[in-house]
Amino acid sequence: MKKKILVANRGEIAIRIMRAIQELDYEAVAVYETPDKDSRHIRLASEAVLLGNGPRCDYLNIEKIIKAAKRTGACAIHPGYGFLAENPDFAKACEDAGIIFIGPTSEVISNLGNKVIARRIMAEAGIPMVPGTSNLSAGEDGVQEALAFASKYAYPIMLKATCGGGGRGIRLIESDEQMRKEIPVARSEAKAAFNDESVYLEKVVINPKHVEVQIIADKEGATIHLGTRDCSIQRRNQKLIEIAPSMIGNKELLDEICQTAVKAAKASNYTNAGTVEFLIDKDFNYYFMEINTRVQVEHTVTEMITGIDIVRTQIKLALGKPLSFTQDDIQLRGHAIEMRINAEDPQTDFMPEGGKTVSVYRSPGGYGVRLDGFVYQGYTIPQVYDSLLVKLTVHGFSWNETVSRVRRCLQNFDIAGPKTTIPFYLNIVQDPDFMKGDFNTSFLDTHPQLFEYKETPNEAEKLSKLIAEIHHRGTNAYAF
Amino acid sequence: MERIIQGMAPSEVVAQLRKADGYYMTNTARDLSQSDFKNRILLHTDMLAAPSRERAGYFSLEITGGASVHVDILRKQVDPFLKLELLREKMPNTMFQTLCRGVNLFGYRPYPQNVIRFTVREFAKYVDVWRTFDFMNHVPNMQAVFEEVAKAGKINEPCICFSTGPEHTDDFYVKKVKEILDVTGTDIILCIKNHGGLGSPQRIGQLVNSIKQSYADLPIHYHGHNTDGNDIGRIAAAVINGASIVDASDSSMTGYYGPAPSLTVIQTLKELGYRAIGIDEDAVIETSEVIRDQRQYYAAFESQIKGFQPTVQIHKLPGGAMGSSLEQAAKGGFLDKMPDILHKELPRVQKELGNYWSVTPGSQILWTTAVANVQGGERYGNPSGDLRNLLLGKYGPFPFYQPEEWIYEKVLGADWKKVLEEEGGMDEIEDMDLDHERTTLSEKIGVEPTDQQLVLYLQHPNDAVNFFKFEEEFGKVYVLPPSIFLHQGKFNVGSTLSFTDHYGKEHVIEIGPSMVNEHNGESNVYLNVDHHQRIYSFAPEAQAGVAAAATVLSKEEIQTLAKNGDIRAPFAGNICEISVKEGQEVAAGEQVAMMEAMKMQTPVVSSIPAL
Repeated sequence: MKKKILVANRGEIAIRIMRAIQELDYEAVAVYETPDKDSRHIRLASEAVLLGNGPRCDYLNIEKIIKAAKRTGACAIHPGYGFLAENPDFAKACEDAGIIFIGPTSEVISNLGNKVIARRIMAEAGIPMVPGTSNLSAGEDGVQEALAFASKYAYPIMLKATCGGGGRGIRLIESDEQMRKEIPVARSEAKAAFNDESVYLEKVVINPKHVEVQIIADKEGATIHLGTRDCSIQRRNQKLIEIAPSMIGNKELLDEICQTAVKAAKASNYTNAGTVEFLIDKDFNYYFMEINTRVQVEHTVTEMITGIDIVRTQIKLALGKPLSFTQDDIQLRGHAIEMRINAEDPQTDFMPEGGKTVSVYRSPGGYGVRLDGFVYQGYTIPQVYDSLLVKLTVHGFSWNETVSRVRRCLQNFDIAGPKTTIPFYLNIVQDPDFMKGDFNTSFLDTHPQLFEYKETPNEAEKLSKLIAEIHHRGTNAYAF
Repeated sequence: MERIIQGMAPSEVVAQLRKADGYYMTNTARDLSQSDFKNRILLHTDMLAAPSRERAGYFSLEITGGASVHVDILRKQVDPFLKLELLREKMPNTMFQTLCRGVNLFGYRPYPQNVIRFTVREFAKYVDVWRTFDFMNHVPNMQAVFEEVAKAGKINEPCICFSTGPEHTDDFYVKKVKEILDVTGTDIILCIKNHGGLGSPQRIGQLVNSIKQSYADLPIHYHGHNTDGNDIGRIAAAVINGASIVDASDSSMTGYYGPAPSLTVIQTLKELGYRAIGIDEDAVIETSEVIRDQRQYYAAFESQIKGFQPTVQIHKLPGGAMGSSLEQAAKGGFLDKMPDILHKELPRVQKELGNYWSVTPGSQILWTTAVANVQGGERYGNPSGDLRNLLLGKYGPFPFYQPEEWIYEKVLGADWKKVLEEEGGMDEIEDMDLDHERTTLSEKIGVEPTDQQLVLYLQHPNDAVNFFKFEEEFGKVYVLPPSIFLHQGKFNVGSTLSFTDHYGKEHVIEIGPSMVNEHNGESNVYLNVDHHQRIYSFAPEAQAGVAAAATVLSKEEIQTLAKNGDIRAPFAGNICEISVKEGQEVAAGEQVAMMEAMKMQTPVVSSIPAL
């Protein structure tokens, strides 16, 4: 009987993982909540288990997922990203149940998930870090610690939830008064969101570039990197566009960052695939930010420039195989750009378009184009999950070629029903700064013109609209 | 080379007309469309006809002007300038002709001088022959147009509007011709504008002869309508007596109120020994064959009453006004009163109001007054704003005699003498601030307007803006044939519609099913556009039918409910202006709203002082 692997996720990443499972000639088991009953990831799997009505709570229910794995006889679980992916309790539960968790050990997840422990590990390993505190003490003592830190490093300062991540649980503090006010609020929010009220401070790096390094480590201790990614183009700390490799011209610096990432991974006893995130300031100082202990949304750009199938590698490593390639085998070829085609309206602060039906869906194709999606014509976007429809990843030999290719692909998309981020991205790829590769995390704030666009249907669609209206009314109201 | 072609200088054209051995012919397609099809013949049909019309060798093609500029943007959703540009591509040699209402341009009320000049300049880029008239034959009303046409190097064709009656003597008209020539000089064509198709062949022959006796070198263009079925006779008489150009149009589309069929004119005059210069008869016939099939799609716009109307000699309504009058009568439910209105009241009103020429906007004033007189009970009891302006002399002086004093009193009130003294006479219309208008328009449409867009906006501000927005939403719809654009009822599911868009791309649209969304009541129309599915959603129609049914009252109920001070519409029309604010005090007789029907504005007044 073929090995079965359960995918504890939904949407495009569930499909991405199932493709790797099927290529390894294993069987994929899907889990789903009721609002996802029409999702394509269920169709692709050999078996599917309904977890419950959800929404979201069943995808987060460790017990139900372990039970589903046991019932279907899955030997391993891939958690994807989000949901339980970085929950050490889930990894632990898998370990306890004798199911292989595809990712690092629960201990590593736990250490790296705790920002303060992670900072301590990195500090010991000599990894450069943004100045910061350990967990603030409770009550007035904590406030005093915070004010002392502020007087040493000056505002602005980030107040962060120790167990936060992915852009959640972060607040920007600009004065003593605000610090006093926000610490208790941040604590109670962290308690509610992460069941841990610990908070700490970090000096703010103003308008940094967000550069991260993909690392892979096997259980024998072989640890390599797959180069850098730049994820600076974000809104509300959520990434929108990712490119590989970073456009920083200084190759020695990028190489140093990659070596530092490997060092950080080793320091934390990392196994499987992970991402070491750095901030780079305007003077090209780089600071360790965190290690994400999961497959990233943007892993596709690294796959495009290295040729390494990261998810396939994850599964093989988790099943106990050693790395089949060395650092010397890794060549970075050309450039890759990934864009998250979301069902959101950029002009109304990215308001999600959930609940709408995709009445037309046609996607681009051709040389250097990769689509990771789960949307299909007729699909109604559930309101209860994220709004990602499809990831467009393109690969090109030069940066210019890659930018023109992604522009062409965006133009070739034909999505009717929900509004999408496509017209906004079209503005981005035609922006002179973007075309030069010159951007940091302030890109959207400093380029408000990117939000100015009008979606114009083509002539055939315009004329068809009149025909539809004549047909609907039984007369042409504009002629009689 | 006898054919007159586009690009020749006006003096050259006039010289060639003077020595012509035979006559030239204008295809008045615009006039045909306006008189017999409520101006709805689409550019699509004119484009089909263009190649053979070009080969037919007409002196000119009248394809713009009159009410067509307004209807182009209002009901045909086509840019009047783009229309001329596209036709010019297919018809490089044929001169394009317009009909211009002098100070009223292509509208119904006088425009400021700078708007007139700007408009003429823009249209003169496409239009070669400018037929200009004034319904009072008041030459100063046409002067600005004459000057701009001459400046643009185009041909002036001033009109003398023709009518019948004891005052309409040859002597009067010859003097009018002199008045015109004094202003324009001699390098012009004179048009006898017989928009009603009035008078006998002999009367027209005599008039042409009288003008020719005085001005032997003046080329005369005879324009008439075939309302009584006898315009061929008048055309023949005009040519026999020396007219150089005559009007007619394609036989397969001719009707009862517009131009006579061109082939009949050619055949008739050939027998009489007169040659149609430059005309290719085969191409004339071919044009009719090419567009014959299209006529069925315009059926909704043809007159409610079919058949020739020799009674036009009594009521004198011109072609275009005849169609819209009948439409208004049908909508207003007084078709049965039409004989009374047309044959008794209208001639009476005409006589009472000075026997001037029944053509836009004068014809509308006569008609509205006659209808109000018959429908309203008291004659001249509810005068339109335009009738008031007519009596005040805003359009120009009465040509023959003034209406009787009692009419002034009815229309202007008891102190009419004072009103006439204070308000009478033509107004000096102030120039508009065109830069300001341009800015306003650019704010309305969100882009910097072109000069052409500004011209359309100055003519018809609201309708032009609506048209620009329409075009942005629906594209350049002139590419749709009348079988689609004027389609009545639903298309058959599964039927395919094909057309080529403005940019030259062919499209096939297949009609799919329609479904109503149970949740929000929206109707979804499924189309296969170029083999790809598209869904168009339409919000549920307001339950107008239901609500309206509940409030329908019988005439008796309305009478019972009516109380002193109610303000009711005197006729069916649109409210174009509310003149008072809520809570404002009004005196008896003060205007509270302005209604518009048949292009005429009528004030609605309060009968009592009120809040």
